[in-house]
Amino acid sequence: MKTVRVAVNAMATRFEFVLLGEDETLLQAAGEEALREITSLEKRLSYYSDTSELTRINRRAAYEPIPLAPDLFSLLREAERFVKKTGGAFDPAIGPLLRCWGFVEGSGSIPDDTALEEATAMSGFHHVHLDKNSNSVRFDHEGVEIDLGAIGKGYALDEAARIVKGHGITNALLHGGTSTVVGIGTSYDGEPWRIGIQDGDAVLGTIELENSSLSISARSGKFFTSGERSYTHILDPRTGHPTSEAAVSAIVSSTATRSDALSTAALVLGSAAQELHDSETGVGVWRTADPSSVLVFDGLPAFDRNLSWS
Amino acid sequence: MLITSNRMPNRLDSISRRDFLKTSSLGTLAGVLTSEWVLLEPEPTELRPSITDTVNCAVIGYGLWGREISATLLRLEEANLVAVCDTYPVMLRRAERSLSEISTYTDYREILDHAEIPAVFIATPSHLHSQIVLDALQAGKHVYCEAPLASSIGDARRIAASARDHEGQIFQGGLLYRTEPQYRSVYGFIRSGALGKAIMARAQWHSRESWRRTSPDSARTRALNWRLDPEISPGLMGEVGIQQYDTAMWIFGGLPSAVSGFGGVYYWKDRDVADTAQTVMDFSTGERMIYDATIVSSFDAMYDTFYGSDSTIILRDGKAWMFKEVDAPMQGWEVYARKDKFYKETGIALLANATKLDALGQDATDDDPNAETPLFHALKAFMDNYFFGPYEPVMNYQKSFDATVVALKANEAVIANSRIEFQPEWFEI
Repeated sequence: MKTVRVAVNAMATRFEFVLLGEDETLLQAAGEEALREITSLEKRLSYYSDTSELTRINRRAAYEPIPLAPDLFSLLREAERFVKKTGGAFDPAIGPLLRCWGFVEGSGSIPDDTALEEATAMSGFHHVHLDKNSNSVRFDHEGVEIDLGAIGKGYALDEAARIVKGHGITNALLHGGTSTVVGIGTSYDGEPWRIGIQDGDAVLGTIELENSSLSISARSGKFFTSGERSYTHILDPRTGHPTSEAAVSAIVSSTATRSDALSTAALVLGSAAQELHDSETGVGVWRTADPSSVLVFDGLPAFDRNLSWS
Repeated sequence: MLITSNRMPNRLDSISRRDFLKTSSLGTLAGVLTSEWVLLEPEPTELRPSITDTVNCAVIGYGLWGREISATLLRLEEANLVAVCDTYPVMLRRAERSLSEISTYTDYREILDHAEIPAVFIATPSHLHSQIVLDALQAGKHVYCEAPLASSIGDARRIAASARDHEGQIFQGGLLYRTEPQYRSVYGFIRSGALGKAIMARAQWHSRESWRRTSPDSARTRALNWRLDPEISPGLMGEVGIQQYDTAMWIFGGLPSAVSGFGGVYYWKDRDVADTAQTVMDFSTGERMIYDATIVSSFDAMYDTFYGSDSTIILRDGKAWMFKEVDAPMQGWEVYARKDKFYKETGIALLANATKLDALGQDATDDDPNAETPLFHALKAFMDNYFFGPYEPVMNYQKSFDATVVALKANEAVIANSRIEFQPEWFEI
C-alpha cells in the first residue's frame, strides 16, 4: 500500500492529509483537490476577512434577509441545532463578546462591565433567524456577528473527507491543526487509526478512530494573563466570560463538524458535558492536564491512558 | 421618475444602470435646453421600469478557476451570478451546493440564448475557448475570456478578430495585473523614471501542486488533465507565465524580440509536460526578462522584479518595495516613507491605496486579509466597462492576443529547448 501526504496552511493552522491506496497519482490528485476545498472554504467562512461570505452576512443581515448558498445555510442550521443541544454552551454568534474581550484584534484584555453587558446583549444565536423557505439569514439586532471558528475547521474537514471518499479512497487520516481529526477507514495495518490526546506535554491517553472524528479543545490553546489569572479565548456564551471549569475536552463523533462544535461546548460545560454523550457521541473532559482529573468520561472508543508513544 | 433598486435576477422589464446613465444624461441635457423643469409624478408601479444595479452573469467552465471567478463575482456588488455551465455534472452539483439562486447548464449555447444574461465569463480549458467565445460574441454577449485566449495562435487570432469585429461589445482577456492597483501604482512610478535606465526583469511563479486531476470516470479524468496533454497544453508558460510576461510587456512598453526556453520533467514523472521551466526574453525596447516557473517547489511563491540603474522594484503579495542604488538621486518623498529590512537590503515601501498611518502600522510580511485579489480588480474593470462604457478595455483583444502569442511561443521554446525570434506578423490579427 502506498502513502501520499499533502498539506496546506489555512484557517490559521496546518491541515494535513495522509492518504493510503495503490495509485499514488490518484492519491496526490485527490488530496490536492481536498486541500483546495479547504482554502476555498477558508475564504468563504473567515470571520477575519473583509471579503468572505460570512463577513457579508455579518455586515448586512441586520438590515435585510441575506440569501445563502445551500451549503452555508445547512451549516448554520446545523450550528443552530448544536446551540440547542448544548443549551448555549456552543454558540457561534458571539462576535461581539470576542471583540469585547479583545480576541479579534489583539491577544485579549479584560473589558469593563458596561462594555461586557452590551456585548452580551448583542450575542447569542437567538438573534439569528434562518428561513428555510428562502434559504436566508437575518439578524434581529445591529451588531450581531457570527464567528464559525468553533465549527468551521470540522466542517472543512468533513468536506475534504467527502472529496477524498468521492475519489474512491477508503483509508485516510485528515487533520486540521491536530485539534480535529477524521479517520477514514483504517490505518496501514487494517487497525483503527490510533490518536493521542495531549495537552502541552501531558498525554491524557489514546483512542481509536474508524470512520469517525475526534476533536480536542483546550483552555491552554490561546489565552492571556492578567495579574495571577489566565483567561482563555474560549468564552462561555451563557455568561460572556472565559470558561474556567475544565482544561481539556475530547469528543468523538460521526462527523468532524459535530465533534468540533461539541468539543468547545464540552470544555464550557465541564462536568455537565455528560449530557452530550449519546449513541454517536463520546465525551471526555479533564479538569486539568492531569490524566487522573477526569470530570466526564463516556463513550471514547478504545481509550487507553497507559499507552505511551514508541 | 422614481428610481428603485432591484437585485432580483431575470427581470425582463428592468433597464440597466448603464442604460439609465445614458438616458438620464440626455434627460438632463433636454431640461437645460428647454429651460423647463417639470416635477414628474411617479408612474404606476406595474408600468414603471426599474433600475437594476447589477448585471446578470454566467460562468462557463466551473473548474478551479471558474469557481474562483464565481466566488469573485459574488463579492462584486454590480455582478449577479445567475448561471453556471459545465459539461461535468459533478461540477454543476458543486455549483448548486455552494451558490445561491443559480441555474446550471451542460450546454453553453443555452446560456447564450438567454437575452437577460448579457455577460459571460469563459473559464473552460484553453483549447475549448475559441468556439465558445465566437458564439458568445455572435450572440451579442460581453465576454471575459481567460488567458491564454487559446492553446493555438490560430484559435487566438480568430477570437481576437471576432472581438475586433464586434465593436460595442466588451471583450476582456483574463490578464490580471494591468488592472491591479499596486501594479498600476508601480507602473506610474517606473514610467516617471524611478528605475533610472531599466535594464531587466526577473520574475517567478513557484507552486507545489501536481496539476494532476482525477475523477472516478476515466474518460473525465483524461479530459480534466488537458494541462498534462502535450498536444493541447499551453504548458507552464502559457498557463501561468503569460501573466508575468504581460506585466513585463506593459512595464517595458513593447513586445519581446526573442525568447530562449529551457525546461523538463524534474519531479512529477507521470507526464511529458514540463514541471519546471525557465525562459530568457529579449525586449524590442532593449531590456531582458528572466522567468522561472515550477510546480515542484513553492519557495518564494510569485514575484516580479524590475531592475534599473537607479533602483530595483519588487512586487509581491500585493505589495511593492524599491531598493535604491547608493548613488541614485534623492527624490525627497522617500525620507518619510516606511522602510522594511530584507536581509542586508532596505526596501522603501511603495503603497497603493493605503493611508500613511495604515502604511506605518503594517508589517512588511503580513498578508492583508482584506486585500482583494488581482482577479477581483480585473472583474471590477469589466463591470465598470459594462456600466460606464463600452470603452476600450485595459486588457483589450490586441493586448490579450499579444500576450497569448508570446506565451505560446515561449512554451514552444521550452519544449524545443531553443531560441525563437518573434516575427512582427505573428502579432497581426
